Amino acid sequence: MERNHKLYIFQITLGVIGLIFIVRLFFLQIVDTSNYFKALSYGSNEVTIYPDRGTIVDRFGKLLVYNDAVYDLMAVPEKVKNFDKVRLCKVLQIDTFDFNQRILKAGRYNKKVASIIYKSLPINIYSQLQEILYDYPPFFIETKIDRRYNIKGAAHVLGYMGELTEKQLKAEKYYKPGDIKGMSGLEKGYETYLRGWKGRKLVLVDKFSKQQGSLAGGKFDSVPTTGQNIISSLDLDLQEFGEKLLANKIGSIVAIEPQTGEVLAMVNSPNYDPNLLVGQTRSKNFGALLMDPRKPLFNRAIKAGYPPGSTFKTIQALIGLQEGVLHPETRYYCSRGFHLGSLTVGCHAHGSPLNLENSIAQSCNAYYCNVYRSILDNPKYESVQDAYIQWSKYLNSFGIGVKTGIDIPEESTGILKKPAYFEKEFGKNWRSANVISMSIGQGQIGLTPLQMCNLSATIANKGYWITPHVVKAIGDNKWLPEEFKVKHKTMVESRYFDSVIVGMARVCKPGGTAGRQGIEGIEICAKTGTAQNPHGEDHSIFIAFAPKDTPKIAIAVVVENGGFGNTYAAPIANLLIERYLALDRVVPTKRPDMLEKMLKANLVGAAIYNLLKVDSTLLKPIIPLKAQ
Amino acid sequence: MYNTREEEKIHIDWITVIIYILLVAFGALNIYSANSTPEHSSLFDFKTEYGKQFIWIGIAAIIVFFILLTDANFFQFSAYGIYGIILLLLLALLATGSFTAGAQAWFKIGAFKLQPSEFAKYATALALAKFLGTFDIKFIGKKNIMICFGIFILPMALTLLQNDTGSALVFACFFLVLFREGLSGWWLVLGLYLAAIFVFTILFPSLYLVGFILIICGIVAYFFKSHKQILYMCAIIFVASSVFIFSVDFMFSKLLQPHQQQRILVTLNQDVSEYYKHKATEFSLFKIDTKKKDEKKSKRDYSYNVRQSKISIGAGRWTGNGFNNGTQTKAKLVPEQHTDFIFCTVGEEYGFLGSALFVLTYLFFIGRLYFLAERQKTVFSRVYGYSCASIIFFHFFVNVGMALGLLPVIGIPLPFMSYGGSSLFSFSMLLFTFLKLDANRVHEINRM
Repeated sequence: MERNHKLYIFQITLGVIGLIFIVRLFFLQIVDTSNYFKALSYGSNEVTIYPDRGTIVDRFGKLLVYNDAVYDLMAVPEKVKNFDKVRLCKVLQIDTFDFNQRILKAGRYNKKVASIIYKSLPINIYSQLQEILYDYPPFFIETKIDRRYNIKGAAHVLGYMGELTEKQLKAEKYYKPGDIKGMSGLEKGYETYLRGWKGRKLVLVDKFSKQQGSLAGGKFDSVPTTGQNIISSLDLDLQEFGEKLLANKIGSIVAIEPQTGEVLAMVNSPNYDPNLLVGQTRSKNFGALLMDPRKPLFNRAIKAGYPPGSTFKTIQALIGLQEGVLHPETRYYCSRGFHLGSLTVGCHAHGSPLNLENSIAQSCNAYYCNVYRSILDNPKYESVQDAYIQWSKYLNSFGIGVKTGIDIPEESTGILKKPAYFEKEFGKNWRSANVISMSIGQGQIGLTPLQMCNLSATIANKGYWITPHVVKAIGDNKWLPEEFKVKHKTMVESRYFDSVIVGMARVCKPGGTAGRQGIEGIEICAKTGTAQNPHGEDHSIFIAFAPKDTPKIAIAVVVENGGFGNTYAAPIANLLIERYLALDRVVPTKRPDMLEKMLKANLVGAAIYNLLKVDSTLLKPIIPLKAQ
Repeated sequence: MYNTREEEKIHIDWITVIIYILLVAFGALNIYSANSTPEHSSLFDFKTEYGKQFIWIGIAAIIVFFILLTDANFFQFSAYGIYGIILLLLLALLATGSFTAGAQAWFKIGAFKLQPSEFAKYATALALAKFLGTFDIKFIGKKNIMICFGIFILPMALTLLQNDTGSALVFACFFLVLFREGLSGWWLVLGLYLAAIFVFTILFPSLYLVGFILIICGIVAYFFKSHKQILYMCAIIFVASSVFIFSVDFMFSKLLQPHQQQRILVTLNQDVSEYYKHKATEFSLFKIDTKKKDEKKSKRDYSYNVRQSKISIGAGRWTGNGFNNGTQTKAKLVPEQHTDFIFCTVGEEYGFLGSALFVLTYLFFIGRLYFLAERQKTVFSRVYGYSCASIIFFHFFVNVGMALGLLPVIGIPLPFMSYGGSSLFSFSMLLFTFLKLDANRVHEINRM
């Protein structure tokens, strides 16, 4: 039966093919689950659960920064079709054209991933939307957090949050479009601690995109990790008082607790209200702040290098003592200044010759010209260059010319030139006389207010400093990075500090340069500085610490165009010290005259006038900003 | 005398008819599922494709009714006539195609699109059956064999010229019919052998493959040293295979169109862009014309259809999502899901159990057709029956194989299931003509 034999071949072939197909089906549908999960991911919406960002409190537990929920309308662009657009647009209070643009824009980023269609829904729209959203299954609301501030100041320390640029989004996969991230200050420096970790929830949707509850019983969901709270080292009371004192002036204040390196206050003026940079008004206000000629976004305390003026004499003396070219009883004559050939560095009228202690108390320029020359022309070194390099190393050991390492990003090193710079300027055989202005903190030297304050703290500690930091503790177990516990020893031995401290203690006493700015009952060690600058009136500078024997606070104040060190900087510093040391903070100041004068003073007008002279393009009306 | 209607109804093969009805109904369900949206879910909305499919089913029922009314001898009588008309239609299409400067596979009559290539299979089956059923003609002798091949190669070539490669390939199923009628099984073996070599040439460097065949032939030759015939065979196989291997690259790159090359590569899991580089640097005799490939599309684009198809089917798991509930299906993620990829809907909505049952039912249906064909008493009916079964079998094999990612994407419909009037009409005619012939078998017996 040849014929039937062929029928069998046909039927066996059918059987074999049936077997192959069924095995393949079994493989695709039962064995290989990846297809199933791919389909599941299409059949579900991934809702990101944003963790609470860590709050920030001051050193006494006063709340500075907290969170508020904001609601974004989200949708997966490719699922948005066939719905009553007009009604939705009416609720959202936008026109359909605008709405289509939003969908298109979201689709350009990624058609398959949920994107923000309407950011930070105003609360009235949000509540209306809640009622009708059931009819718009592809749309859902994602709850995010935004920062809220209890205070109007300290903006530079706390920093602001901002949306990531497209470039940043590519580099940092954790964030997605519309997320905010710390962009400056503490928020940036401690971003990873504060932000926590996002969770996610997969919500099963049916064929109409309607939510059907959790996918696979929540098997693929993850719970968000709440961000860690941060205790800042700031003293809010001191900070706000500093801001009040520095209002209508341009300048900066930094206060540090010398033993711990904790920053008690960091004031910049002008500053801005941190509430300006939240929510929907963020980008508009940011642009306006950026264009403001007074530069309110600029963190002078860590970024601006000022010539330290006479406050620099303290460290010159210390280096001289350590190098052995200076003795506490060394005396130099001063005839209204320092004269060397045609070179003259002027000085004010005072008794002469002075010893080291009095040279600080009375701030003799000639004295320090001599000291600096003796350091640079020390026969111990082969050349001025070598001596200068050694001198630079001393400065570095005080955190000058290098970053102090504070936990706020974008700190500046200040200005400290390398010998090569002077070679270029004055030729290969430059001499100490070429750089003599640096002996009194003028010329090619610049310190940030933070570095000045750190210098003051180092003197208070008699030879060591701890990296300044604005964070006192992180998280529930009050943890602090080890780097903020290390004592940095300076190259000057502790025994050399005494005579300098004695000199500084005389500054705020009758006969000292800030003799009239002292406060009764507090032994303040200080040094005034008056920094000349090419942009008008001198900068008023003051560094101080108190009390003398058990220093609790070190402070540096810079008031731009404030004139002499004792005009503005000294009273402000001393008032702050007085307030800080009076622990209950209610004791009325012993110098109400000084307080009133400081609160009334207004130096901004003159400063702006100077600025406008330099750059007339800044001549624009300053738009008053509104917080949300 | 013969042929009263009552008798025919008794003798028609009801098993096949019932499965036919089930398949058509199941097909309509799946088309509804793949096409309806929450906004357009009314069952008889004739603007939608599932709505139209109901019209096609209605028309198909009328066609079936008329076929069953027709005298069984009519088909044999008019076979050549139908065949001739179809060939003319195919030629006419080519002519209009050359006027409109583009290939097209259908005539537009009002709102309907008529696809002659679908009916060409039916006509070819009739013509081949008629020829072999002619008294005194058998599948023997050069002339007869050439005529047999000619009968189906002619419409195949015309379809191919319309750029409808998928439909053209279907005509290859007549080899199966001729196999039944006496074509040596070795030809089929040769066909499989060449197909295997084609695949291996794409997967492996050509020289390795040649070396491998040389070793096999050498071993065989060593063991059959004394048999001269086998030695000659080995030599011929080796030389012919080598020539074929080296010409595959050429055929692949020059004869196939870029999208066809890509589809084959995707099925074989080859990275398209890698393939060209790798082949160009290899020791092939013919360099690939790299300009020919479509630069814009990556493997992802070409594999999109198959990937989505696999995801849909995989999403079904054991029991599936249920009718009208497939998320992939409803999201319309699989292109052409209501036509060529209708099997995805089955996979997703009815799961492994449903799809396996479906495959088994369909294969039983085809097996039943072969069984019916074999029991025919006249050569005409038998050849026609085998043609009918083989055409459906080929469509089923290629269509489901493609949806499962086992075969390259070849756009041919799943008989009785896929959306489309032309395909439903032609398959219904094909099937019921055979069932009419089968029912008439009893009278053939009576006549003898």
